[in-house]
Parts: sequence; C-alpha cells; structure tokens
Amino acid sequence: MSQNKRYWSGLDELHGTEEFKAIQGQEFPGVQSVDEFLSDDRLESTHTGRRDFLKFMGFSLTAATLAACETPVIKSIPYTNKPEEVTPGVANYYASTFYNGQDYGQVLVKTREGRPIFIKSNALTGEGKVGVRVNASVMGLYDSARLNGPRKGGQPTDWATIDADVQAALAAGGRKVVLTHSVASPSLNRAISLFCAATGAEHVQYDAISYSGMRKANVADYGRDMVPTFALDRAEAIVTIGADFLGTWGDVAVQTTAWSKGRQPENGKMSSLHAFESVMTLTGSNADRRNMIKPSEAGRVALALLNGLTGGGNNGDLSESAAAGIAPAVAALKAAGSKGLVVAGSNDPNVQLIVNACNRALGAYGTTVDLENAWVLGRGNDEAFAALVADMAAGKVGTLLIHGVNPAYTSTAFATALGKVKASISTSLFADETASRCTHIAPDHHWLESWGDAQRTTKRVDWVQPTISPLFDSRAAGSSFLTWANNPETDWYTFLRQTWNPNYTADQLYTDAAWNSSLHDGFMALESEGLPVSFEGAGSGLAAAKQAVMATKGGAFELAFYQKNTIGQGDQTANPMLQETPDPLTKITWDNYVTMAKSDMDAMGLNTYIGQEKPASVVRVTVGGQSVEMPAMLLPGQKPGTIGIALGYGRGANGEEVGKAAFQMAENGDFLRDANSALVPVGTNAFPLLGSASGLPQYEQLNVAVEATGATYALASTQIHSTDMGRDSIVKETTFGAYFAERKAAKGSASWNKLIRIGVHEDVNGDGVINAQDSKPTAAFDLWHEHPVEEVGHRWGMTIDLTTCTGCSACVTACHIENNVPVVGKDEVRRHRDMHWMRIDRFFASDYSLERGEEEGVGAIGSYRRMEDPAENPQTVHMPMMCQHCNHAPCETVCPVAATTHSNEGLNQMTYNRCIGTRYCANNCPYKVRRFNWFNYPGYKKFMNFNPSQDNLTRMVLNPDVTVRSRGVMEKCSMCVQRIQEGKLNAKKAGTKVPDGAVVTACAEACPTNAIQFGDLNDKQSHVAAVSENNRAYHALEEIGVQPNIFYMTKVRNTESTEA
Amino acid sequence: MQREAAIREPLILGNKSYKDITDDVVGPIQGPAPIGWKIMITISAIIAVYGVGSILYLLGTGIGVWGLNKTVGWSWDITNFVWWVGIGHAGTLISAVLLLFRQKWRMAINRSAEAMTIFAVIMAATFPGIHMGRIWVSYWVLPLPNQFGSLWVNFNSPLLWDVFAISTYFSVSLVFWYIGLIPDFATIRDRMVKPLPKKIYGILAFGWSGRAKHWTRFEEVSLVLAGIATPLVFSVHSIVSMDFATSVIPGWHTTIFPPYFVSGAVFSGFAMVQTLLLIMRKGMKLENYIHVKHVEYMNIVIIVTGSIVGVAYLTELFISWYSGVEYESYAFINRFSGPYSWSYWIMMTCNVISPQLFWFKKIRRSLIATFILSIVVNIGMWFERYVIIVTSIHRDYNPSSWGEFHPSSMDVGIFIGTLGIFFTLFLGFARFFPVLALNELKTILKSSGEAYKKQHDNH
Amino acid sequence: MNKVFHVMYDDDDTLKGAASQLVAKGIRVKDVFSPFPIHGIDPIIGVKRTRLAIASFMYATTGTTLALLGMWYFMISDWPMNIGGKPSFSLIENLPAFIPVTFEFSVLCAAHGMAITYLLRNGTLPGMPATNPDPRTTDNMFVMEITTEDNHLAADELESFIKETPLVELSIKEYK
Repeated sequence: MSQNKRYWSGLDELHGTEEFKAIQGQEFPGVQSVDEFLSDDRLESTHTGRRDFLKFMGFSLTAATLAACETPVIKSIPYTNKPEEVTPGVANYYASTFYNGQDYGQVLVKTREGRPIFIKSNALTGEGKVGVRVNASVMGLYDSARLNGPRKGGQPTDWATIDADVQAALAAGGRKVVLTHSVASPSLNRAISLFCAATGAEHVQYDAISYSGMRKANVADYGRDMVPTFALDRAEAIVTIGADFLGTWGDVAVQTTAWSKGRQPENGKMSSLHAFESVMTLTGSNADRRNMIKPSEAGRVALALLNGLTGGGNNGDLSESAAAGIAPAVAALKAAGSKGLVVAGSNDPNVQLIVNACNRALGAYGTTVDLENAWVLGRGNDEAFAALVADMAAGKVGTLLIHGVNPAYTSTAFATALGKVKASISTSLFADETASRCTHIAPDHHWLESWGDAQRTTKRVDWVQPTISPLFDSRAAGSSFLTWANNPETDWYTFLRQTWNPNYTADQLYTDAAWNSSLHDGFMALESEGLPVSFEGAGSGLAAAKQAVMATKGGAFELAFYQKNTIGQGDQTANPMLQETPDPLTKITWDNYVTMAKSDMDAMGLNTYIGQEKPASVVRVTVGGQSVEMPAMLLPGQKPGTIGIALGYGRGANGEEVGKAAFQMAENGDFLRDANSALVPVGTNAFPLLGSASGLPQYEQLNVAVEATGATYALASTQIHSTDMGRDSIVKETTFGAYFAERKAAKGSASWNKLIRIGVHEDVNGDGVINAQDSKPTAAFDLWHEHPVEEVGHRWGMTIDLTTCTGCSACVTACHIENNVPVVGKDEVRRHRDMHWMRIDRFFASDYSLERGEEEGVGAIGSYRRMEDPAENPQTVHMPMMCQHCNHAPCETVCPVAATTHSNEGLNQMTYNRCIGTRYCANNCPYKVRRFNWFNYPGYKKFMNFNPSQDNLTRMVLNPDVTVRSRGVMEKCSMCVQRIQEGKLNAKKAGTKVPDGAVVTACAEACPTNAIQFGDLNDKQSHVAAVSENNRAYHALEEIGVQPNIFYMTKVRNTESTEA
Repeated sequence: MQREAAIREPLILGNKSYKDITDDVVGPIQGPAPIGWKIMITISAIIAVYGVGSILYLLGTGIGVWGLNKTVGWSWDITNFVWWVGIGHAGTLISAVLLLFRQKWRMAINRSAEAMTIFAVIMAATFPGIHMGRIWVSYWVLPLPNQFGSLWVNFNSPLLWDVFAISTYFSVSLVFWYIGLIPDFATIRDRMVKPLPKKIYGILAFGWSGRAKHWTRFEEVSLVLAGIATPLVFSVHSIVSMDFATSVIPGWHTTIFPPYFVSGAVFSGFAMVQTLLLIMRKGMKLENYIHVKHVEYMNIVIIVTGSIVGVAYLTELFISWYSGVEYESYAFINRFSGPYSWSYWIMMTCNVISPQLFWFKKIRRSLIATFILSIVVNIGMWFERYVIIVTSIHRDYNPSSWGEFHPSSMDVGIFIGTLGIFFTLFLGFARFFPVLALNELKTILKSSGEAYKKQHDNH
Repeated sequence: MNKVFHVMYDDDDTLKGAASQLVAKGIRVKDVFSPFPIHGIDPIIGVKRTRLAIASFMYATTGTTLALLGMWYFMISDWPMNIGGKPSFSLIENLPAFIPVTFEFSVLCAAHGMAITYLLRNGTLPGMPATNPDPRTTDNMFVMEITTEDNHLAADELESFIKETPLVELSIKEYK
C-alpha cells in the first residue's frame, strides 16, 4: 500500500521557502565553481598590480631567506635595552682609585662593553703615574680563584648565616678586634669606628711592610706619628740609604714622577742621586753614584753623612765601598743645601733619627721633606699587632675581623695563633693563607666593583667607583661592618655619600652636580691646613741613636730583604702578567732567589751563568733557627758578604687557593707537585725570616749562614747576557758635565752623540786627499731610490729618553695587557721564548774594554771574554726595546709572502693572516724584537693554567680591538695600531687633523716618567718631532742604515766621571 | 772511430762485450733480491717511519717542539735543508758539467748520482715545508691571484727565489734523469720475461725502439739539457746562499757566499756519491764499471772543492778583521772562540784538513780510506751550515738578545728520519732501476774498454 | 706487394760499413735500430740534423718574458707595496731583485718545453708499444730497415745486395 508520509531534511524544505527552492538543484550549495568564477565579468575590474606582486615577491623572498639562515654569532648576549652610556666598540673611562695596602694610585679604568680591560693613570690629578703593579692589577678582577660567595668553615653559605654568626660571636665576649691594613678610606674608617663603638671592638692596623721605624723617629723628634711626603721634584741632591723610592718604598707613583721632573738635562740642571744599598734595587740602578754597603752599616752611613754635614765626628767603622761614597754624597748635599734630601729604608728608629738630623742639618724640612702634608698610609702598628698575636695565642681573642691584610702569610706566629680565635672573619676575595684559616669568609668586592673613597694625603680625597657590577656574591666590606654594627644605614653607597655630605638623601642620587663632577675627575680637594710641627724635641734621642748604630755589628754574611718591583709585597703573586714581567735587574721571571756577589759565588763554587740548560745552584740560607733552600743568582752590585732575598713570593705554600698562577707548572702544563703531591708555590716565602728589633720587623738579618747544597734549580731569564759589549751605537750615555758643555751643539755633532759616518773613497772634505777623514753619514748611503717618508701624511714615531727611564716596567705590562700578549710560563721563558713585544734591555757596565785589552796586552778574544762580565758595582742602563718600525726594514724584504710590509704612515705592519711562519724576518731583525707563536697559546695544554686566554673568566680581560694570534705566525709591536686607527677616526668625525697627543700607545701612556713619547713625526708641531730634533736623539744601531722611526735620547748621568 | 791514448787507464775492466754490459746491469733486476739488500732496506724503512712520525708530531703540535727560540729562529731545519740541497748538486753536476767537458768516466756513475740528487732534493724540499709555522698555507708562496685567498708574493725575498730555484732544479734534474733512463728501460723491457714486470717497464720505456733519428734527438736533448742544467746547478746553491748573503746579520751578510756555497755543495755531493757508490759497487758487483780510477777522479774533485772551501773560510776570517766592523769581527771571533766554537773546529777539521789527505795517491786510491773520508766530509759539511746559521744569529747585533740553541729530540729525530727516507729511496732505485747508463757505457766500450784497448795496442 | 728487410748485424761498425756500401749502390736505408747511438750513421742514411735546440731557445725566451711580465704585474702594476723602502715604482728600479726568478723560470720553460717536444716528436710517450723489429736491438744487435717501397730496386735485387753485407740475420716481411 502506498504511503504518503514525507520526510523533510529541514524546516525550509517543509515550508518550501524561496531560498530552499533556489538552492534545491545544487549539489554543493553556496560553492561557486571555477568556471562560474572565471566567467564572472566583475573579475576584470579586480586586479593585482605589479607593485603588489613585487611586494608579495619581496616579502616571501625575505621570509624564505630569513627562515633559511641561522644567527651566525654563537655566544653573545645582545643588550635588550642598550644602556645609554655604552656603545659597543667604544671604550668608556671611569676615574677610580687603587689601594691595596702598598700601592696607591688615581687611575682611569678603560671599559669595553662593560668590562674593565685596562688601567691607566688619571692625568687630571697631576700627581704621579701608576706603575707596573697597579696597571697589571686589572687581571685580578677576573681571577677564577676568587670566592663566589661567603664561606663558613670552608663551605659555601649565605650572608644571613654569616651575619648571625658574627652577631653571636660578638655577643660571646672575649677580645674583639678589627685587623686591617692602614685604611686609606675615610668612610671605611668611619664605619669601623662605628662598629667598634657599637661592639666595643678595637681597631688594629697592620701592614705587611712596616714604616714604624720612621714614624717612631718622627714621634721622638716632632711629636708626630706620621710618615712625611717628599718633594723629589724640588730636590737637587738625593741620598738614599736602602730606600727603593722608585720601586717599592713609600708612595712610589708620586715619587717616580716627581723625581723624573728633576732629571731633565734640557733644564740646564739635574738632581743628583746617591744610593747606599746592599742589593741593587731599581733606585740604586738609577743612581748617579751607587755605593755598596752592608745592612749593618746603614746607620753608620747616615751618621757619616750627618758628621759630614755638621762637620766632624766619629763615623764608626765603614767598609771601603761605603766610606768611598760618603764624601761625594756630602758634597752634593752641601751644594744642594735645603734642596738636599736624605731618606733611609731602614725600619730601625735609630737610623731614622739620624736621617732626620741630616735633613734638619740640610734645612730640608719645608722644601724637600713635607711634614705638614703627611702621607696618611704606612700606619701599621707593630706593637699592637704583636700584642694581638700574643692574646690570640693565649686564646683571649673572641672575635677577629680581618680586612685587607694577609697576616697569616707574613707572620707564622699569627698563622698558628689564628686557630685559637673562636670566631675569625675575613673579608678577603680569596681563600688565602689567612682567610682559609678563618672560621668565616665574607668576601669584599674587588676594587673595580666597589664604591669607596681613599686618601693619600690630608689635602684631598679620591673616589673609588665601580666599573662593573660584582661578578660574584660578594658584599662591600664597609657594608658588612655596618651590618655587624647594627647601624641603621647599611647601604655602603649611601653611607659613603653621607661621610662627605651628612644630609645626603637618596633623592640626591644624581642631582648633586658637585659630586658628579668630582666623581668624574676622580677626586675632591679638601681644605686642610697642615698640622703644625714643633722642632723643640728634635734631636733629643740623637746621642743614643748614634751609640746604637755604632754598636750594630754584622756576621760573616748579612741578609737584606727587598721587594721586587713587579711582585712587591706579594698580594698579586697570582697575576701571570706580573710573574712573567722580568725583574728589572736580574731579568728573572716566575721566581725569587738569593742574590749574591760574584766573588762570594765563586768562593762557594756556585754557577754564575743562568742559561737554558744551565740551572742555578741551590744554597741553604740559615737564619737563627730556621733555614731555607733557594737558588743563588748573581746580581752585580751586591755587596760582597751580603745576600738579598725578595719578599712577596711563596704564596699558597699550603695549597691555599690564591690563584692558579701562584703555583709552579710541570712542563706538560699540569701543576707541579712535590713528594707528597702538594702544590709547589712560585718562589719561597721570606717573611718568616725577617729580623726584629724592639718589636719592629727589620728588613735585614745581620748574621746568616750561606752554604752550597750541590742541588740545582732552573731559573727562567729573559736576558742571559749582561753587558752591551762596548757597542756604543746601541746605548749612548754621557755625564751631565759633558752634556752641559755641548748642550747647544747641533744634532749629531756633540761628542757624546756623534752621527755615525762611514768612510768613502772620494774627497768629501775637499782637502785634496782621499783618506780616513773622508766620510758620509749612514743616511747618505742608499742603494735605491727609496719610498718617501718625510712630509707624506702621518709618520708615527716614538722618542725614548734613557735619562728618565727607570726600568720600572710599567710599559711592559701595559703593552702586554693592551695587545693580548700571551703569557707563556716559566718553562717557555727558560727556553728563551717569551712573547714580550715590549722589553726593557738591562745593560750592566763592564769595567773592561778593547782599549783596556790593548793596554794590558790582552788580545781581542780575551778582551771580549772579559767584557761579558759586568763590573763588581756596575752602572746600569735600562733601555726599552720594541719594534723600531724601520723605514728600511730588513724584516720586510725577506718575507716571501709580503706578510710584513711598510704602511704609508711609517709603521712596520705585521699581517698575521698572511704569515706562513718562516721566521726569516725574526732572524733578520737586528733588534730581535719579533716573536713567534711556537704553540697554540690560546689552546695548547701546556699553557692552560696561566695563559689568560685559556681561562673562561680571565679571558674577559682581553682587548677586543686586538686579535689573539694563532699558532705559527710572527707577531711584534704594532705601535698600538688599534689606538692609531681610533684616533684617526675620532679626528675624522671631528673634521680636524689628528691633534698631537690624541693618539698615545699603551707604553707611552703608562710611562710614569714620560720617558716614552709617541706622536706624528711629520707633524712639525708635535712633541716627538721636536724631541727627535734634540741633540740627544739618536737611532739605535744607526750604522746598519735601517732608518728606524724610534729615537732614543742619550742617557745623561749627573756625574763628573762615568766610572762608578 | 775515435781512439783513446793507450796510457789512459781503461774505464771498463774485464773482457766485456755489449751483451755482458746488459747482463751485468739487468741481471740483478731480474734475479731475486739479495739478503743484504733486504736487511738494509728494512733498517732504513724503520728509520724512515720514525722520521715521518716525528714530522707528524711536529705538524700537530707546533714548531715549539724544536729547540728554536726568539734569538735562534733557524737551526737544524735550515741546516738540514742546505745540507741536502748541497748533496743534491753532485748528480746534475756530474751528468751535465762532465758531459759538457766530455768526461767519459762520468758514464759509470752519473745514473746513480742523479738518482741520489733527486732523492736528496726531495729530502731538502721537506725542510722549508715543515719549518713553516703554518704549512697548511704553504701554497701561499706561489703567485696566486687575490681571489684565491692570497695576495701576490714578494719577489724581493730570497726565500721566494728559493722556491723557484729548488722547484726548477728538482723538476729539471728529474727530466734529465728520466730522458736518460728511457732507452735503458727499453733494454730491460726487452729482457723481461715475466708479464707484469715486462708491462711495467714497457710503460716506463715510453715505447722506445732505438731508431737512428731518435738517437740523434736523444743526444741533442742530453747536450742541451746539460747546457742549461750547468748554470742551473750553480744558480741553485747561489740562491740558497743568498738567503744568508742578502740579510743584515753579521756572519750571514757576506758576498763570498755564492761561490763558497757552490763549491761546498759539489764537495759534499761528491762525498755522498762516494759513500753510496762504494756500497753499491760491492753490493751489485759492479767493480768492473766503477773501479779505483773513478774513485780517484772523484777524490780529485773533492780535493779541489775542499781546498776552495778552505780558502773561503780563511777569506771570511780575514775580511771580518779587515772590514774593521766590530759586529762583523766579533761574529767571527765568536765563531772560533765562542760557546759554539766546537762546531767550528769540527767543521775545520772535517772540511779543510781531512780532504788534504787525498794528495797522497795511496789514500786517494784506497777504497776504505775514501769511504771513511767521504763520511767525514759530509759530517763536516753539515757542521759548516750549522756554524753559519747558529753561531751567527745566536749572538748578533744586540747583546741583550744573545741566546743559546739546544736541539730537541724532534730536531734529531727528523734529521735521522730524512736519512732513513733517503736510503730507502736509493735502495729502491738500486734494486729496480738500471744503475748504470747502459746506452752510454756501450758507446765507450770500444774506446775505453780494457779488452778493446789491448787489441788496439796489439795492432 | 711491398717487402721490408730487417738486416741484423752484431757490431755498430759493421753496420756502418754495410750501410755506406748499400747507400753507394743508391739503396735507401729506411731506418736503423741500435742499443746506443751509432756516431756517424746519420749522414750515411741521411738523417737530418734536429732543430730541438732552437725550440728550447724559444721556450727559454718565452719563460724570460713571462717571468718579467708577471713580476712587473705583481710587484709594480697590480699591487705595489712599500717593502723595506725598496722601490716599487718601475721594473728597472726593482730589476736586480727579479733576476734570480727570471733566470730560474727561463730554465724551467726551456728544459720542460724541450723535453715535451722531444717526446712528442719521437712519439715516445707512456705506454706506447715498442716498434723495434727485434728485442735484441736494445741489447747488442744492430738492425737496418730497408723497404722495397722507397727503393726503386726490385725485392730480389735488394735482397742480393743486402746479402753481400756481413749480416748475421735477415728477416723479410711482406706488407700491403
């Protein structure tokens, strides 16, 4: 049966609406077929324009490209927001102040992309330029041995725990002591005194190197417990008795610069310097007359000077070499009168009393000695320290806070007693000898990370400002003290500002214009009238002092302790740059040793020649009970019967983590380990051997025993030959008398700087005969029509004044840090493979010569043999030597691939990428200044523990403007071409010609005495152009005719005779 | 046909026919390897492998594995280079110069002398290569265009002249040698019975068939090559000597060097030829071809060149004093009285005194004495180069840089290694190559053969 | 039907004699195979003097020119540099330094050029087949090649003349 039931698919169908009817026939309703689309004539009106098409193409192309490529840089984090003061590629400089308990200097810190990479002097202060130890200190910031946070019992902990423990300890009772070095920071002093007031603690200051002797003498004479400052620039005659004021004694930076001001022969007068010392120091090597004395004679030398000045008196017995020097010194002092100066390095008050008497006799007070404007450092109190150690040993000390000193290294008594202290907290950055023995370590910021203020004299305050945010979880020491004192204000920066502006509030953070400008300058002048000095009591103790010094007697051998110019008192022993910078006198790197006189060494049959395969002989030095075994090193000028040992070595003797470079390496680059597999430190710690008199440490031991052990020990020297073999065209020197006589002579004509002429076979002088008188200057000889250098664009050049170069080596470290010069370590240095672009050649005078050989009937062979040995007490020349940038460079012509060529700005340029490493250029260099990359220093295992470029943290010190050279290429001084380019670009932007002084090489910048000058020789207004025309200017090895762009200035000694 | 004065000693002893000559030379190649040869090549191969190992270590680690330093930038590397190049001079000299002078006695020795030359030059060429700090870019010494990744080279540099001189010398000597070898390879090819050797020598023989036309061309080419190889021999060591002569270093900067080096080279080259031939003639029973007369001729060359070298040494000394230049005079005083004077006196004894013994006919004709002296001379010549290089630069202008040199195990190892490689190659040559110039010897059989000479005398 | 006679002698002088003997009869000797150059055979069988020497001279001059041009371009024209102050202004000024390389390069071209020419002209190249009629010709035998084709005489006449010479062996081949 049919059914009429209807199934409908939707209400539309049911109701049969119009829309349904319209779409009913279509299978896919609402979809337009392609044909319909194309047949739609409205299509004509719509179109995609060519431009659109290209836009789409462009977009898709770019999109595809971007999708295809990776980011090329692997490890670099871009600024999300660029700090306004940082422009990538452009360096920023911040004024700051360095102080580590020994050295003090106002510096400018160069930062690149927020990394401090270079330290130079702050020229604005006009007070001295920092030396080798300060400009190398930037390495310390990136030392991977630094503590990454607070420690408790050697284990990492948090600051809360530290603070809680300190509070508990303070509450626990017992003696509470804050032990610091002489604090230079007024704010820190304020913080400490607040802390002491709050907790009843006492503040003891202690310095590794003590000046107590001098201060006691000043107390006795003038009632002032202080060390005066010395105006060396005003002095006309200086006599030093073992005070190395150019190297390590007193305020070196200021003294060096000031001294050099008085040593300019062009001024028509020069100060004279007489030195009496046992070990030849930097100061002694720069003295016009150096006299060898025994340490025990220091007082009697001072006495003899006093008698000489005041007329008559008993000098006591003086050794011949000492006595011989008295008369000339006295004469010089008398001539100088109130512009004379006597200083002594001795820490014996008696000696200093006599020295004070000398200066009074001269009337030096107020002219060369400034009591009113005292040096506020060197305030260590040795008695207080001794008492503290005694109490510690007795267990009376409850809490000991240690800041800025490392007494466990300098005093064995302290090291042992430290264990008996209930709570000992150190703010050291390293777990060093002291900190590692403390119960807690609350690491301070590195000075480059911290705010602070510092005072050298009462006349001004210098600012310390951070140049990088703290690398590790450290806390400013001052802030720690404030926290522990429960001071309401614990923010160090605020506290610092409040010190100088009591009503400072946080909203003045940026608004204080005065502060901002002084911070920019790096210092703020203070008006302080120097404290009055009374001379009433002066000389009261003199008679007793005379008796005392008369009485001092020495034994068979006397031992004088000294500091190396590079390592100083030893808080930078782990700085590879400093370790590899050779000692200016012995040229030994990476070690300390016993310095001895040749006569003594021969008597003991010790090896006096250190060569690659000629190790030093080891001697046993016995002082009182204890004895050390150290290599013996010949040091000319060492008083026979005395030996010298440098302090500051042997850090980390018990494996403390003071830095990798403080330890010796095996030849394969691993740490060297002794019999019981302990790390072997570099050098030996001599502090335990120090003498002491009436509670003061004495830097001499008057009776020691020295014996040969028969053992040998390899020393690494960068210069194994001592003398200049009478080659006058390398070093030219004269006396001030001779200079003065011919000071007006035209360049090249003066007897002490004659232009070297070569005989020719033509009648030059027109006397009708051709004979030895017919000669031409070397410049006249030229095989070919040369490339013009004069008057063509720039011609970068340098002048180096041998008269004011003290050999301090500041230029060496500056150069090497600026140019990423690899540190190669002791073993490679021993193989004569140091990479030094900049070196200081040290020549000791020999008392032999070919002439003398002829007189004595000794042949040339014999004479040359004798000329290899320096005199017993030789005169010394320090000669900075780097690439001479010859205009006729022998190195350039021999390179098969033209990797070293001459720039049209007078530079001898080395193209590392092009070098194939034949070493022909180095062989053919008369100055031997080219250095070859024997290994892959940035990667080879042998260098992993000390080469900065192999440590992930230390690598941050590398200068991004200078490439790190690869294995197998030659390198050498580039005259800081990166700085030249920067200077030229700045001039270009400014639209000016490069102004004189706008471009300065690292060495010239660092030179504390401005002996090195850099500039454009073609710019006739430039300083170097003028100096190069000076009649003292000459080219080293002029007769080879390589025509260098480096000029040396004849060394002028203020002596009448060149004989020592 | 040309005859030779009867009083002249025959160059080929015994009653030899053309066939005998062939058999004497080709026989050993066909026969099994003698035990002595096996022992010798094993030893030298082991040494060679050690040398290659040392070189690889050097290349992997850096030049620092040598004993060089900032003052002494060259030492054993360049000493060995010059020594080997010097040795490499005898071969071409013998075959070229003596050919021009029509010295028939050369024919017995030139083949092996040239082989020695080629192997010595290969050894020499390794040192300039491995002494480079970055050997992987050594191709930069070629004048390649910028786009290739390098700039043009510096044609002012003696080292670049070396590149051209050594490569030219090597390739020309090789060609000269091979062109002489072709007919003899043909001879071997036609003697060989085993298929594989026959095939190999067939390829080496370039299908030579000894047509009259080819022989004329052959003689022309030999003559002309000799003509241009002769100045080449002299130029090569002159240019090597310019590495030193054009520098500014006292002791290097010496105009006497080119002739002095060339005579030294010939001196050491002949000495090395003596050493090798005296072994070879025993080992391969060639007494009839290489006999006392040849040895004597070479010893005479050694006396002459040795004396020239001696005069050169004395001239240097005199000039250093006569010049009045303190650096120059000190350089030489230091040579004979300084820290390295021992090497100077070894040189003097070996190079100047020892060859004078050859004035005595007995010694000159004694094979034992010759063998010993030839080795002494080569020791002396090695030290000559060592003295020139090391004693000059270890103390040059600036006393602050005066230094020392102490060889490392790698210095020694690589030098010994090259000796090993050299002897391995030479032994290989002696085994598989015609060690005498067959075709040349056959031409002189009638004029200088003992038997023929007798016949002539009878007529 | 051409014939080729390979006449073998056991001595170079005998062959020389025989050759002149035949040549006197107006017979043309096509070629001679010998283990070593027989001096004086060329004029007899009419081998012309080779011009290889001239070729080598031309190669040498090419080398000289190339070397000088190259160095002029590298050092003076394309990329002049100040190397040790030496002049890079003109070829003449810098010439002394260029002499060694010029010489070496000329020798290089001369030697290799001539050697290659020599091998090509001989048709002696690696792997070429040997064409000497008898292996003994590279040892101690001397063979004269005479063909009927380049002689006006008939084969048997030739043969008879040849037989008159002091030969040791005679092989006669026929070829199209």
